Amino acid sequence: MVVAVALGLWGGVTAMALINGWVKQRIADSIQNEISHIQIHNPEFLLNEEVDKTFSFDSVAATLNSTPGIVGFSGRLKVFAMAQTDRANSGLVVLGVKPSSERSVSGIPNKLIMGSFLEGDFTTPSIVLGKKAAEELKLVSYQLTDSIAQKFSIVEPKLVEQIQPLVGKRYRSRSSFMNDLRAELEPKLFNHYSESIADSCISFRLNGPVVLTFQTPAGELHSAMFRVRGIYRTSNTAFDARMAYVNFDNLATAASINPNHVHEVAILCKGNTDAVNVAKTLSATHQNLKVRSWDEISPEIALYAAFGDFMGMIYVVIILFALAFGIINTMMMSVLERYREFGMLMAIGMNRLRVFSMIMMESVFLTLTGGVVGIAFSTVFIKIFARTGIDFSMWAEGFEAIGYSSVVYPEITISNYVLITMLVVATGILASLWPARRALKLNPMQALRVE
Amino acid sequence: MAIIEVVNVDKIYNDSEVKVTALSNINLKVEKGEFTAIVGPSGSGKTTLLNLIGGLDSPTNGKIRVGDVWLNELKGSKLIDFRLRNIGFVFQSYNLIPVLTAGENVELIMQLQGVPAKLRKQVSADMLGKVGLADRFASRPAKLSGGQQQRVAVARALASKPQFILADEPTANLDGKSAENLLQIMEHLNRTEGVTFIFSTHDQRVVNRARRVILLEDGKVKSDILQ
Repeated sequence: MVVAVALGLWGGVTAMALINGWVKQRIADSIQNEISHIQIHNPEFLLNEEVDKTFSFDSVAATLNSTPGIVGFSGRLKVFAMAQTDRANSGLVVLGVKPSSERSVSGIPNKLIMGSFLEGDFTTPSIVLGKKAAEELKLVSYQLTDSIAQKFSIVEPKLVEQIQPLVGKRYRSRSSFMNDLRAELEPKLFNHYSESIADSCISFRLNGPVVLTFQTPAGELHSAMFRVRGIYRTSNTAFDARMAYVNFDNLATAASINPNHVHEVAILCKGNTDAVNVAKTLSATHQNLKVRSWDEISPEIALYAAFGDFMGMIYVVIILFALAFGIINTMMMSVLERYREFGMLMAIGMNRLRVFSMIMMESVFLTLTGGVVGIAFSTVFIKIFARTGIDFSMWAEGFEAIGYSSVVYPEITISNYVLITMLVVATGILASLWPARRALKLNPMQALRVE
Repeated sequence: MAIIEVVNVDKIYNDSEVKVTALSNINLKVEKGEFTAIVGPSGSGKTTLLNLIGGLDSPTNGKIRVGDVWLNELKGSKLIDFRLRNIGFVFQSYNLIPVLTAGENVELIMQLQGVPAKLRKQVSADMLGKVGLADRFASRPAKLSGGQQQRVAVARALASKPQFILADEPTANLDGKSAENLLQIMEHLNRTEGVTFIFSTHDQRVVNRARRVILLEDGKVKSDILQ
């Protein structure tokens, strides 16, 4: 029973820690990479996100520089564009940003898997795309190199020989690469390794041209060519598919927008709670603009926290339910096995209340022992994995499609521990009531005759 | 005054469709210091009579007095408390608690009586000494022979300072030597300390040592002989 309780508590604490970790990471990723803590807009821009609804950046910059609690801010232009390459097209939200300012509010410059974040002096304007957008625009190629082939020799030596004919060849599409791979590999090896080989061989066409077509404030469509200088990847595939970054001045020039005006100012604060207070202050100062904190910009993110707690509790309740059955079974067996012992105790003069208390005390003691073991075990488990993370990259595609990282860093608070421990002990006590009641009903005379 | 008085006791079991008369019109008196054996064939009502005298069961008709208390006047926890303070039990299969040592098993009944820990330990050691197990105070039942376990059970019964000890087939699970040894101890306690013993038994050795033998047949007292 000690083991059952310890495992139950470990399961409950770990489930809650995983969910906490995921939710906190999702909120942190959203704030850092996607929405920042605070955004300021022209209120009319929020209605239809029309390109002419800008506001003067200078009018807010002075206030932001003197407001405590702000870590950084970045003025942005935001247009909706149709992106075209020689092979595909896709809708994008294009942010015009100043790289140095953007670095102070956004984690995207640190999420590059290739190239650089709008730095460098190029004749053709630069664009940074998400990995998913680059794939959709077919700005990828597949090339198997000797070094990639050698990596697979560690897991499957005969694989190297079979894929040798593909080394050095360059494919513009995944399907043509896969077709050739299928032709060379044994079916079993193909089924097992083809996806990971394809993922390893992927390379992006840096400096590839992308034509963006968007509306100018005058209501006309304008096209401009950009070249891909960087590819980023976040844990949110949907974000990677739609957000692109270009240089502020390039976009302002191309879209004929006053370079002193912005569509959006993104602000990063010291903490999530600070942000709400800073937003209130800014809102009072700039009444003609719409100042929104992260929980207003993305209410679903704010809901994650509450939802995470709720989901955590559901898991804990399910685990406790299973635990309760385990305890009932164990204690019932214990009572039945010691039927004659209880009969003897009642015969020599132990009253029923004392028998009941004895079984309950036994259950509480076992539950507490299991609880301590479970807490110790889960604390060690969580401490280790809070540092290294738990890698669910086997299911990375699924996780990232819904905006969650495939590596989770479990996290748990003291109050979670207290709550779960109390619930486990309460479960232990409640689950013992039935076996204890059973012992109360025994007739000492009959119990003494039990063989 | 006799310490036990059984007056017109019948015990009829109605559990099944057929009524079973386990005891019929039993009248007995047991004086303090007796060494009495209740004998009879299986099903004659020996254990039933012992259970009634011990307050573990109640008669269908009649009444039983222990000391100056009529058992039918006690109910629930009062009866349990009365058993705790007045009646010692020795069972056929010892019924020691396996996780407790011999000393702790003896102490258990005093713990239920609320005896302070220090005194409990002292009395427990004394009682184990009386049954010849002073050196086995810290042994668990699994480390003791059947005879030794039954002697611990006798020490446990003695520790509660009861008015009498009821022993249901105490030698049934013991080999000849152990049974003889146990009987010697009980007889010694009876002679030197005046402990009243009432046995139900099939064992001829117990019958031979008993000073009073009550023979039950078909739930009735067939004979009641002082030896």
